[in-house]
Amino acid sequence: MPSYSDNFSAMNDSTASGDSSSGNQTAPPKPTAKKKRNLPGMPDPEAEVIALSPKTLLATNRFVCEICNKGFQRDQNLQLHRRGHNLPWKLRQRSSEEVKKRVYVCPEPGCIHHNPSRALGDLTGIKKHFCRKHGEKKWKCDKCSKNYAVQSDWKAHSKICGSREYKCDCGTLFLRRDSFITHRAFCDALAGESAKKNTALAPPSADEDPKNQTNLPSPPPPAMEAPPSPPPLPVAAPPPLQASSPSAPPSTAVVSSVLPLHNLELPESARHNPATTRILEDTPTVTDSPVNCSSNSLSSNNGSTSSNVFASLFASSTSSGILQSQATRFPDLFETMAHTKQTSDVALCTSSEPISLCLAMNQGSSIFKTAGQECRQYAPAPQPAMSATALLQKAAQVGVAASNASVLRGLGIVSSLSPSSEPQRWGRQEIESEGASLASGLGLGLGLGLACDGGSALTELMLGTPSVFGPKHATLDLLGLGMAASGGPTGGLSAIMKSINDGLDVAAAAAAFGGGEYSGQDMGRSS
Amino acid sequence: MKAEPRGNSSHISLQNPSHFNTTQSSISGALKECLGSLDGACIEKLLLHFASALESNDVTSAQQVMWVLNNVASSVGDPNQRLASWFLRALISRAARVSPTTISFDGRSALERRPMTVTELAGYVDLIPWHRFGFCASNSVIFKTIQGFPRVHILDFSITHCMQWPTLIDALAKRPEGPPSLRISVPSWRPPVHPLLNVSSEEVCQRLTNFAKFKDVPFEINVIEVPPLSTMDAGTSQLGSSDLYDLFLNQLNPSALEIRDDEALVINCQNWLRYMPDEQMGSTSHDTSCRDAFLEIIKDLSPCIVTVVDEDCDLGTLSLASRITTCFNYLWIPFDSFETFLPKNSPQRIEYEADIGHKIENIIGFEGIQRIERLESGINLSKRMANKGFQSVPFCEDTVKEVKILLDEHASGWGMKKDDDVLVLTWKGHNSIYATAWVPCSYGVEY
Repeated sequence: MPSYSDNFSAMNDSTASGDSSSGNQTAPPKPTAKKKRNLPGMPDPEAEVIALSPKTLLATNRFVCEICNKGFQRDQNLQLHRRGHNLPWKLRQRSSEEVKKRVYVCPEPGCIHHNPSRALGDLTGIKKHFCRKHGEKKWKCDKCSKNYAVQSDWKAHSKICGSREYKCDCGTLFLRRDSFITHRAFCDALAGESAKKNTALAPPSADEDPKNQTNLPSPPPPAMEAPPSPPPLPVAAPPPLQASSPSAPPSTAVVSSVLPLHNLELPESARHNPATTRILEDTPTVTDSPVNCSSNSLSSNNGSTSSNVFASLFASSTSSGILQSQATRFPDLFETMAHTKQTSDVALCTSSEPISLCLAMNQGSSIFKTAGQECRQYAPAPQPAMSATALLQKAAQVGVAASNASVLRGLGIVSSLSPSSEPQRWGRQEIESEGASLASGLGLGLGLGLACDGGSALTELMLGTPSVFGPKHATLDLLGLGMAASGGPTGGLSAIMKSINDGLDVAAAAAAFGGGEYSGQDMGRSS
Repeated sequence: MKAEPRGNSSHISLQNPSHFNTTQSSISGALKECLGSLDGACIEKLLLHFASALESNDVTSAQQVMWVLNNVASSVGDPNQRLASWFLRALISRAARVSPTTISFDGRSALERRPMTVTELAGYVDLIPWHRFGFCASNSVIFKTIQGFPRVHILDFSITHCMQWPTLIDALAKRPEGPPSLRISVPSWRPPVHPLLNVSSEEVCQRLTNFAKFKDVPFEINVIEVPPLSTMDAGTSQLGSSDLYDLFLNQLNPSALEIRDDEALVINCQNWLRYMPDEQMGSTSHDTSCRDAFLEIIKDLSPCIVTVVDEDCDLGTLSLASRITTCFNYLWIPFDSFETFLPKNSPQRIEYEADIGHKIENIIGFEGIQRIERLESGINLSKRMANKGFQSVPFCEDTVKEVKILLDEHASGWGMKKDDDVLVLTWKGHNSIYATAWVPCSYGVEY
């Protein structure tokens, strides 16, 4: 089988990536042409596919200076360093012709990026991917629970963890300003407001300073005041005083159309230290604050006023718990509100649906399992089972009818004579049952209009009670193994298959199919 | 409708089954390659074989391949498996649709999900940069273009119900010179695709108006009626009718749109053009497609900028086999991105994937005018725009920087590249969304 190290010996130079020259192990046996076939999804069909070994991908600083033992990730960097020692160095020039585009695959079989059509375009990317996905996560964020395998990811996360947060009046928190703005525009909290302008409340010029307790430097000033550059938000110092606040608003409570107190509900103090009260809604006058004289007066009242108001805020936080429950993160919001149709037999393959024979084919491992393992396959186990070939072989042996029935049920295809009265989403015309005139055979001619043999051929196809199939026995032997579809197994391979089949917990499977219609029916293909 | 063999009415006349290489040896050969790893390529092959088997009425193969696929696919598995489950569903529903009578295909239960609330939609567009990328790039260009104009009118053709505009309104509000007067027009009809809202477009408009008021931006928003259609009829609009598009195009005239001379006109096409049919409309009086006609119309409105954002993939007039392959290799991108940060059983993730599944069902399951997802890549779109008399406007450094900042806030697989005047969102290096900006070629001359 092709060895990927061949690729490298064929290459003259190792270029800047430098990893090719030493210690490359053979890539896993994946037969891939060097010249990629023209997959539409493939970024560059002419790109050279490179598979590096796990060791190579995880390695850092593999090039070590013999003088001072300083390590480098790239050979070129080492060579440059060697010059400093007055050692002979060899800097390979990039070839002057067009450099062939290289893409990298993940060596982990079963990984989505193991496939050349999912190759990643740069070396750093594949290294990071491998490290992240298949490596140990040894970098831990000390503020939250996230762990990272790649140090730069961890660093990037630590920078933003718990730093800038934007809070809508409805209580939802956002890490990104544009999400916050978009949400806010449509949020009920805003809609509930009167049209009065919000004239005060913004702290004068304090808006751009992060007063929160994280020590994040402000982001560099954006080139233009466009949304995606998030300035940190005003902090609570002058709180958004609610004229409508039930707790006597401080005298400076200017107006404000803002929200009724309870909307300012802060989530349980698990997240925030009330004293710092760092997050607030974005106010429109953030940048115009100097314009509002009232805000000036506000700021002068910072101290006790703010704490009073906030004390009251928190006092009421537990009582007005209506929005409390909603003061969760967005994903949580989604989770509580979302309900999918999983409870119905919609999902093609859900974990609660034993019928579905759901096997996660993550990795291709051994093709033929022992009988005992086969039994477990009928449970919704995520364990990898057989390869496609083996499955097909089994399909040829075992009746696939009942399991296919579950597929159809999962899709909502039920054999019935009543037409669907709801127009399908795409606006197709209603289906009427007319009994006769179904295309024959599969009837799935997809528009080829086959003559009708009568009977619901499609149903029968799917539900496995073929009556109109005609003599199809010899038709297809997908695997070219010489096994008649309905015939008994012959040959060595078939014998193996048979032994596997015998090991199948057929009864259990049949029972699991539910519905009752198929229990007891023969599982073998009969036609 | 009579359930006679559909072949006559919809001569889909698909590709020759031999395209699929249905010979025994090639199937087994192809599958032997999958030995050891059932990866994306293998699943793709299986899907192709399934489609071919369905098409050639090969019951045995179809059953077998379906069984295999059913075992491979899983709506809660890895991205390839999840994608496969939606493809499988689409193929089966395609088959069922063609052979209707005794099958009552309750397609809605499989693919329907409840519409979102506005705040859910706001979260939806921000989960991954799929939409936000386009919003950011377009808003940045628009912001720069309208500098100096006191009044601006935006014609908004998009499927995301005005989610793009709050950030622009916010940016305009903060301009040192203050905001211009902003007017937005949205058509009352939109293609019947996700994301779907549980409120009317009037409600959306109202909220946006409140927001603009809150931000002190003079604002007006109106809905351009396209009688007899309206957004609420999305589910029942006659998709198959070319009249629909004629009606729509007819409404795009200066008086119905209330074009005013003192306004800078901005035309924003976000995930829109792919829903304008690119095939000849079939009637002899049209020699251009709806898409081309649309572009001509908007060019004649003399906009000062046209932003076009869409999915970077070519799915227009391909054969079924090509569509399966292309679509599979493209839509793995959002599936893979969900995988990186949403757990396998997250209902949110499953809902989003179901939305994409809906798209797959249209791409795979329909032909002709009912196949409304006619994606066109940025490269081809650029050629089309040039043919129609537009010239591209390059993205300035500021815009590129902003988009980069945006992407930094998302998972690290998202990246960006610039191909001439096309900005492309990439996931792990693969093109996903493109953003472009255009002006009519004669624009400079007139002014």
